[in-house]
Amino acid sequence: MAPSNAKHASQACIISGGFTVLSLQFSTESTAQHNIFVKEHRVRAEKTTHRPLDRTLFVLNIPPYCSESVIRELFSQFGPVQSVELREKPGSSENATSKLAKYFTTAQKQGFVVGYIVFQKATSIAAAKSHPHNVPLVVSTEQQPVWTGLKKWIHQYKQSIVQTDKLQEAVDAFMQDYDQRKNEEAKRQKKQAEEQQEDEEGWVKVTRGKGGAKARPHSEVANQKALQKETRKRKRKELINFYTWQHRNTQKEHIAELRKKFEEDKQRIALLRAQRKFRPY
Amino acid sequence: MIYQPTANENMKGDIEEQMEQSESSHGEEDDGPTIAKRAKPEVVKEMEGILRPVKLSRGELYKPPTAEELNQLKEAESLFHCSLLKMQMEELLKEVALSVRRKQQIDSFVQNVTELLKTVPQTPVVELSDLSWLSGGVKVPFLLVPKAAKGKFHMAPPISVNIIGSYPLGTCTKPGISVDVAVTIPADVLHPKDALNQRYPRKRALYLAGLAHHLSSSSAIGTMQYSCLHGNRLRPLLLLSPPGKENSGFTLRLHACPPPGFFKPSRFHPQRNNVRTEWYTGLRSSQTGAVEPPTPHYNSSVLGDMLPAAHLQFLAAVHSQCSAFTDGVALLKVWLRQRQLDQGAGCFSGFLGSMLLAYLLTSHRVSSTMTAYQLLRNSLHFLASNNLTENGISLARDPDSTAPSLAEFHSVFQVVFVDPSGHLNMCADMTACTYKWVQHEAAQSLQFWDDPTVDGFHALLMTPKPMIRTADHVFQLCGLAQLQASCKKLNLLNELMDHSGNYILTVLPFILSLLQRGLGERVRLLTHSLLPDPEWSVESEAPKHKVQPHLSFGLLLNPEQAVSVLERGPPADSAKAAEFRQLWGSLSELRRFQDGAITEAVVWEGETSCQKRLVPHQVIKHLLQLHADIPESCVRYVGGMLDSVIKVGEVCSTGEEESLKVVQSYDDLSRKLWRLEGLPLSITSVQGAHSALRYTQVFPPVPVKLDYTFFHRDKTSKCLVPLEDKPCPVYITPIKVICHMEGSGKWPHDRVAIRHIKAAFHISLGELLTQQHHYTCQPSATHLDVWKDGFAFRIQVAYHREPQVLRESLSPEGLLIVRDNEEAQALEMATIHQPFLTSTLHGLQQLHPCFGAVCRLAKRWLGAQLFSDVISEDTADLLVASLFLQPAPFTPPGSPQVGFLRFLHLVSCFDWRNNPLVVNLNGQLTAADYTEIKNDFIASRESLPVMFIATPKDKKVSFWTKLSPSVQRARTISQLKLKVKMLQRVVLVAAESLKVLEHQLMDASQIQDIRVVMRPPLDAYDVLIHLQPRQVPLLNHAVDKPHVTFSRGVLNVGVPKTGQAMPVVDFSPVACYLAELRDAFGDLAVFFCDPYGGTVIAVLWKPKAFHPVPFKTSQMVARRVEVTGEEAHTVPNVEAILEDFRIMGQGLVKSVDLRTERWVV
Repeated sequence: MAPSNAKHASQACIISGGFTVLSLQFSTESTAQHNIFVKEHRVRAEKTTHRPLDRTLFVLNIPPYCSESVIRELFSQFGPVQSVELREKPGSSENATSKLAKYFTTAQKQGFVVGYIVFQKATSIAAAKSHPHNVPLVVSTEQQPVWTGLKKWIHQYKQSIVQTDKLQEAVDAFMQDYDQRKNEEAKRQKKQAEEQQEDEEGWVKVTRGKGGAKARPHSEVANQKALQKETRKRKRKELINFYTWQHRNTQKEHIAELRKKFEEDKQRIALLRAQRKFRPY
Repeated sequence: MIYQPTANENMKGDIEEQMEQSESSHGEEDDGPTIAKRAKPEVVKEMEGILRPVKLSRGELYKPPTAEELNQLKEAESLFHCSLLKMQMEELLKEVALSVRRKQQIDSFVQNVTELLKTVPQTPVVELSDLSWLSGGVKVPFLLVPKAAKGKFHMAPPISVNIIGSYPLGTCTKPGISVDVAVTIPADVLHPKDALNQRYPRKRALYLAGLAHHLSSSSAIGTMQYSCLHGNRLRPLLLLSPPGKENSGFTLRLHACPPPGFFKPSRFHPQRNNVRTEWYTGLRSSQTGAVEPPTPHYNSSVLGDMLPAAHLQFLAAVHSQCSAFTDGVALLKVWLRQRQLDQGAGCFSGFLGSMLLAYLLTSHRVSSTMTAYQLLRNSLHFLASNNLTENGISLARDPDSTAPSLAEFHSVFQVVFVDPSGHLNMCADMTACTYKWVQHEAAQSLQFWDDPTVDGFHALLMTPKPMIRTADHVFQLCGLAQLQASCKKLNLLNELMDHSGNYILTVLPFILSLLQRGLGERVRLLTHSLLPDPEWSVESEAPKHKVQPHLSFGLLLNPEQAVSVLERGPPADSAKAAEFRQLWGSLSELRRFQDGAITEAVVWEGETSCQKRLVPHQVIKHLLQLHADIPESCVRYVGGMLDSVIKVGEVCSTGEEESLKVVQSYDDLSRKLWRLEGLPLSITSVQGAHSALRYTQVFPPVPVKLDYTFFHRDKTSKCLVPLEDKPCPVYITPIKVICHMEGSGKWPHDRVAIRHIKAAFHISLGELLTQQHHYTCQPSATHLDVWKDGFAFRIQVAYHREPQVLRESLSPEGLLIVRDNEEAQALEMATIHQPFLTSTLHGLQQLHPCFGAVCRLAKRWLGAQLFSDVISEDTADLLVASLFLQPAPFTPPGSPQVGFLRFLHLVSCFDWRNNPLVVNLNGQLTAADYTEIKNDFIASRESLPVMFIATPKDKKVSFWTKLSPSVQRARTISQLKLKVKMLQRVVLVAAESLKVLEHQLMDASQIQDIRVVMRPPLDAYDVLIHLQPRQVPLLNHAVDKPHVTFSRGVLNVGVPKTGQAMPVVDFSPVACYLAELRDAFGDLAVFFCDPYGGTVIAVLWKPKAFHPVPFKTSQMVARRVEVTGEEAHTVPNVEAILEDFRIMGQGLVKSVDLRTERWVV
């Protein structure tokens, strides 16, 4: 895997799009290298605070055996790393699931990922971007070996064994929280319902209700059901084959049906014949 | 309905033509341009080869019909299921009819031959045994046994040369066109006494040899061969084919016949003798007054030669009365041919078919105005309901007084169908078994003909039914010379004389009746292959009888009785006891039964169901040895040859017993779950959702007892963990069980909360099971593992409203909307559909005991050929289920072998593009449902999966074959193309496997290794990753047994106890590795592996991924950049990927084999 541009051998290799190509190999004995592509993180509207634009490095094509800690270790040579975020696809961060216990998160795909590395200093970005192409980053070193293959799977298996009491704790904690939320919700609804009661003088206080404040949300299904009921009712009242014109229509429909079928069959036959499907042997 | 030949002519026209004609027959507003406009889309459709919904304009649909159109439509509706069947039959007839060009060829060739035959030179009169006049290497097509024969012979030009048989009638069909020509021998060559002692047959053979000799010098003849009519050696034929290309498509069959009326037909009364014992044996009989035995078969073979012209006349007369006669016979012939009934010794030939139709017409069972379709139907109905083995039929209107009666025919022949002259039994050589077979086929055909859910046309006329795919078990008699000894043993000299030394045909009826008696209730039907007509060159001697390769017998089993190991005979003191003892010989012994009866009985060996299935083999072996002197070595039984592929463990078992054990253990667990006390909510259902619980797991889990020193023990949870330096531990399959909990208002209405509640249920279920039953349990958020009786059950709690909750969401306006999503579908699949399928197929297994074994063979084959991911386990089970639920034109498979063969046939032949496969589980679908499914399918073919399988619960989506959700998200055209290509490959390999396998099974001379079909061709793949055998947990199940075995932490002694440490469940490095590879490189390559002990992972690059593409942030997986000028292109970083294969599989991968001859970096 020779670098594509040999003349810039000891320099950083920069390609269009502003990415710098770094090479990465698994261990010192490896013969082949992956290209990873780094660039300062720059989006027009970054909503969250934990990807500061000046200190975040955006990395493409990180091999599956590089975990967050490995990346942190690799990039700490350019300066102290504050945080590492690995994702399947580039995009804005979301941490809705983060508060769930680890037992309830869904398994991640173990493929190539993109990363957002937040350094503590802005200068580290430049250091990373000017890293020469022909000096590969090494993932697994003797001091800090990275487990792959059998070792990794056995480790994973060990990790997958759940300790019952811990799981129970996690469940209890969540459910307590959930019940509390539900209770509050119920209380609020009750209060609202009370507010809408007439007071002694017969006045009803009309407030601007919050979202979802309705006692029972309108559902699509309910709407459809009502509609269906209506049509069924209409149908039941209808008389079939009562008038002569109705009878004639039914017959007409029947013939049309037969005709349609005939055409369909004809098409089918033509197709089968084209495929020589009538040779019995 | 009135049959209109003109309308029929119309239908025979091209479809376009027909359209025009029908258009013009409605003919009001039609003119040229509209036709052209409408014809165009038709062409486009054909090009693409996919059916599209037909769209007709309102005007066309509702225009007033003409009387003719109305008739046509009504006829189609009332006579056929639909016009489709009618059109299909017409197309078929077009395919088998002879073309005008072919007819011209035939006519001119016949003309040439006739001219040539007229110039046969006279030769001087010589003794019959003197063959010196026959020079030039041409041999006589006759077995001269005994050698001596009186009489004189000379060659003379024939009196007449006439075409007879099917060709002049127009009932001759493609392929294998044979035109029969009768050459009449001049009267002065024959002598009125020649009927005696094979003199006439010999002269006939000599005459044919003379003709051959004369014709051999002519250039107008291509090849010349001898054959004999329906395997009857007394009636040789001379086959002529025109010069030029090797297979010009037709042959002329020369029959030599005596002049009409030369012999008196009364001489050939079935009770009369025409072959003298003294002459035949060459011994002077001691008593001169002894009555000579009748020679009915010999008689009918001579008689048959005298009547062809009369038969032709008769049939021509019938033909002229009924216009659909030709087509009716053609259909009947196709029907017979697909069932392999129309050729060979004692066949139900096309001639018999014509005669049968003639019988139906003359006896007014059918009307002469009926269509071909109705004629076929009525003849099948007649065959199915009339037993010609007991009540023969006769075409003779007013037979003369010398003609034998039906009873006389019945006394010597097994099947009786008398010709118009009243003297000849046309079914003389047919065995009762063959007729029973015809009857069975006819009855079956009628059964599915009316079933609107079956593609009747296809099953009736288009599906070939070779014996190996029809019969449940097949056995062959090899070394037919051995049958001579049986003739002696059975004392059949007279019959042998009657058949002129053809000991095979002599013995056959006796063997059949012997086996029929011995097998009794075990078989529904016993059939035998019809010995093919031998063909040999004119320059070689007639082949001996023993040259015939083998005689095959097919058994259609009665699934319940066939596997019984006990043959209970009559009580010891009854009169029938002696008969029973005589039949079974030394094996019969007196036994006392539980009901107190003491009876004769035979007990066969058989512990496991795999052995029990082969009880018929033991019966046959024993009977043939005992009564017919046929040694065991001559009987080649093809019934359990495939069993070894799915053998489990050391004992001879194909897994039924093991599956039963799993099911029993599950039943016990299910009972205990029901009775658990102390659960906050009650359990509403416990359902298995694993293939082991429906008997279809390829290698059902066996209880294991673990060697604890082999593992590391996790301190806190008391679970075992595999050790790195040891071989991979035994694979323990988690058997999935779905446990539905009662619905209650306490269930939260929130997806995350439901997940937590389920986890809580897992924990408490585990605790209760441990407390009350001392099982080892290991809960997790998604499931609960229970270690019981050496099996690991994986219990998943389900809540019936959860899919609904997953589908619901609130729109911004506060409207509750329900949208289907993958998460909900996946959950429904796991908690509703899979358990349902499991219980349904479990039921199917109870109905058909070999269902499970067929599934296992099918899945073993899919696995071995690396197709496990193309056709998933559930899909394969459904495919096999369809073979049992809709077996037409077969009967439901009665042995794993035949089921597997039909599976391969289904996979290789089904037209997935244009047809949905409907699996009518529990028979819930009606005909209307079928139509609906078909219409929906055609309407949205493009968006449906490549294989569309509909079930009662799933009429529109085919969720069993849908792409996996992750794939679907990234669904592109290339994905779909890949899927299509993979399926094409499966089809290809299945067809090849079927061919090889049938060959292996039917041909005794081949090297017997049926595992050939289980070895995948690896040369199609780009990279092979070889794995360390020690880390492949299922190594023992590999197709070819490994040389080395590894200790996998299992103790062989003792029974597993409950209440020990949780073993390593569901840990397979190969599966982990494959998952990682697919996650990482799924966009670049496809990975294939045999899940049952495969030590190789085959990789196929996706060609699309290797085109250089511009740099794009979202598509940079494992790619490197190539800069050319300003442009940056990316290509896959192959070297790094290959390195990654090794890195990611450290400890598992042995070597990575780059097959760079197929690709370059």
